[in-house]
Amino acid sequence: MRKIWFFMVLASLCTLLFTNPEGSINAMMNAGADAVTLTIKLLGIYAVWLGIIALVDACGVSEKIASLLDPVIDWLFGKTDKDTKKYIALNMSANILGMGNACTPTGLKAMAGLDKQNNSTTASTAMIMLVVINATSIQLIPTTIIGLRQQYGSIASSDIILPTIISTLVSTILGVLLVKLCSKLSKRRKKE
Amino acid sequence: MSLSVFITPALIILLLIYCAKKKINCYGTFAEGAKGAIQLCLDVLPFLVAIFVAIQLFKISGLASITADLLAPVMNLVGIPKELTELMIIRPFSGSGSIVIAEQIFSDFGADSYIARCASVIMGSSETIFYVATIYFSQTKAKRLLYAIPVALVATIASSIVACQICKIM
Repeated sequence: MRKIWFFMVLASLCTLLFTNPEGSINAMMNAGADAVTLTIKLLGIYAVWLGIIALVDACGVSEKIASLLDPVIDWLFGKTDKDTKKYIALNMSANILGMGNACTPTGLKAMAGLDKQNNSTTASTAMIMLVVINATSIQLIPTTIIGLRQQYGSIASSDIILPTIISTLVSTILGVLLVKLCSKLSKRRKKE
Repeated sequence: MSLSVFITPALIILLLIYCAKKKINCYGTFAEGAKGAIQLCLDVLPFLVAIFVAIQLFKISGLASITADLLAPVMNLVGIPKELTELMIIRPFSGSGSIVIAEQIFSDFGADSYIARCASVIMGSSETIFYVATIYFSQTKAKRLLYAIPVALVATIASSIVACQICKIM
């Protein structure tokens, strides 16, 4: 991430120095403003979801979901404490139900919990697993895209649902298996 | 209209009824939970600014389209039409940016064309990987992310290849 960011900015700025030096500063300022606008939008969305999640938590439903998903979570993430497990369970259910905006706040809470157990500057396998699962989103019904296709005059705008489900399953399953494989390989390397 | 429209509100109704039955102070609990969002957003904002700056510069410098041109032959080799290269490059970085490209594809080729359907499936089955990784790791002390991003990228590219094949038959 650090390297990618550094080279992207450096290479882009060098190019812009010759092609469009005024544009570069403008672009950076606009990007900063865009990020703030997005964060404010997200603040509202996260606040609502965290409010709902607090209710889920208070009435004990989250523990029930967690115990339901317990075997899956154990296999994917290894040993974690009860609170973290709860947030992972909520994050995964939000993923599966397609509540995209509910994924992030629960995922971030789970991430903070995993960090407490890890307590190192190197990411743990469980953290990587959580990020990979969320970065290969299990989205069952891509509503935004279907709407967009309708706008552009599609006659069968929802015929992409099935291919999307297959494709998203491929990416998530492959992602999970690759994380498992990589963590095994790196453990073996450490032992040697 | 799809079923998913009803799922979320229905679940929230059930939740409220269940909480009322358990005599939980819904109003107070909700507000207390919502408070957590402020800290969350404060944590995330600096990283968002950094990633937005990088993407914006990458786009307006023209490097994004140059990279797309360079990668097009490789993409063709694995069965991804070259028209989709730019979409695939921007997608991991920016959700709104990739939607703009998808719209362009829809208007250039028609929303029901093979290219547009591939683009739709790719959009629907992938995520903004760098954005997800950035904000998730913003909650941790981890500086070395090991194989997190490569694995997510490989999985997404594989699913895009699958997507383009499925769109041929379905």
